[in-house]
Amino acid sequence: MSSSSSSSSPSCPKKMITLKSSDGETFEIEEIAALQSKTLESMIDENCASTPVPLPNITGKILAKVVEYCTKHAEVGADAESLRAWDAEFVSVDHPTLFDYILAANFLEIPTLLNLACQSVADMVKGKTPDEIHKIFNIKSTFTPEEEEELRRENQWAFD
Amino acid sequence: MDSLPDAIVQYILSYVDNARDIAVCNCVSKRWKDSLPYIRRLYFPRNSFENNAGRDNPDNVVWRMIASIVQLDELVVYCPFSSAGLASWLSLVSSSLRRLELRMDNLAEQQACLETPSKLDCIGAAKDLESLKLWGVLMTCVPKWDIFPKLRNLEIVGARLEGPALSSAIQACPNLTSLLLLGCEGVRSVSIDLPLLEHCKLDFYGLGNCSLSLTSPKIESLEVQGCSWIRVRETNCLRNLSISNNSGRVYMVDFGKLRALEFLSIRGIQWCWDAVSKMLKWASEVKHLYMKVEFTGDYEALQPFPEVDLVDFFNSHPKLQKFDVHGAMFAALCQKNSLKNIDTAFTIPCLEEVAITVRSPLNAEQKMGTLESLVKYGKSLKTMVIKILQMKSSHSSADDFFDEICRFTYMNRKLVRIE
Repeated sequence: MSSSSSSSSPSCPKKMITLKSSDGETFEIEEIAALQSKTLESMIDENCASTPVPLPNITGKILAKVVEYCTKHAEVGADAESLRAWDAEFVSVDHPTLFDYILAANFLEIPTLLNLACQSVADMVKGKTPDEIHKIFNIKSTFTPEEEEELRRENQWAFD
Repeated sequence: MDSLPDAIVQYILSYVDNARDIAVCNCVSKRWKDSLPYIRRLYFPRNSFENNAGRDNPDNVVWRMIASIVQLDELVVYCPFSSAGLASWLSLVSSSLRRLELRMDNLAEQQACLETPSKLDCIGAAKDLESLKLWGVLMTCVPKWDIFPKLRNLEIVGARLEGPALSSAIQACPNLTSLLLLGCEGVRSVSIDLPLLEHCKLDFYGLGNCSLSLTSPKIESLEVQGCSWIRVRETNCLRNLSISNNSGRVYMVDFGKLRALEFLSIRGIQWCWDAVSKMLKWASEVKHLYMKVEFTGDYEALQPFPEVDLVDFFNSHPKLQKFDVHGAMFAALCQKNSLKNIDTAFTIPCLEEVAITVRSPLNAEQKMGTLESLVKYGKSLKTMVIKILQMKSSHSSADDFFDEICRFTYMNRKLVRIE
């Protein structure tokens, strides 16, 4: 399979498919890159990908990044070290965007992106207290004061 | 985060495996607490209960956490625990647990054999384990294990073993594909008969006089440190072989044909010449060769190496691409007959990378000759790295030799560099 950097002869152009975001933007992606998505892979196999594929759950802003991710990861000959660095850069985004990546990767079934983004969120939890976690993710404690006290007692060892 | 569906929150939290973080997540919100039963991996670092101040029994805390999880695949415990605790945890997860890693810490306990059941015995309850890794094990008694039919990977790091206990333990894992025994002392002789074994790394402390017999027809990669006697007859799949001995003498090697061998490393203080020459003879197909043995000699006395003819050497290893040769073994390479009767067709066809360590200025002319021949006949040579270590002599001969090497490097500067 040719990489994106090699010249393609006129007689065999790279197969592209078109994706359409929830807000009507269209994006072209090489078929090879699209195969990273199990959802798109089965559509390609069943020949349903010749017209623009509507993705009502994913906005243009996120879809653009997902296309970028899949294209990068479909490249041949990238060394593991630089790919890791690229991935780290890719997930250095604000939380709403990160969660959108997770939702998109889940919908499109892109295991590598799902893994990368989830691990990234999980890493933010490490070593934090519940209050810090509340702040980081903007979530509220839904416990009653009694429940909260009991839980703290049970898990006191983790707060020592 | 509130907008994410429950399943996604569960999935994200399954990436949190540190027990302390999980305990904290329990206190964040109802949704988080309700997601935690679905995590698959639980890890207790060494210092988990360091500041506990005797309030909670660590064994019980671990038990409570495991009990709250629906299906635990992997348990890693580095903090101290008792065998009763371990037995209680494993009775909760024996049907789901696939991977177990424990810091046993038994080495200081002389009485380990008397405590029944021992921690090792308790592990037998996790019958469906696929991977077992133990740190700091005292295995002087035969562990009361039945069979681990699904166990593919066994690693023991830092152990005091006795031969019969080790053999018995290995026999309980007939389907192993990977076996690592690192930093193990007390073994004198070990016989391993594992039909599915592909990767094996053995590192024995002590006098360096262990005997190893390995019967594993599928073995692909074998690393052995600390043996003086090694027999591996079925070697059709063996691709990587590394034999070293830091403390004893390697005197007997008995290998089948090394047809598939791509990488060979021989290292140590002393190898009998018979062992060295046999290894080199069997490894005729090798692509990468690493040689760092200080001395030869069949008995206590350390002897220098006999001369090895350069032309013969490279003709008998025609596929050699990478060559690392150090100190005494490099010094042994010479051109006994070559320079006089050189066959004009002689080449070193595949050699691309060479790394050489030089330690003494003795036989400088012979060494320079070898370096020059490598460059001259190595048609595919891309790089040569020369390391010069602690040139012991304060003689001018050391300086002269160093100058020679520098000149050689300069004249071949596209290929050669000094480190």
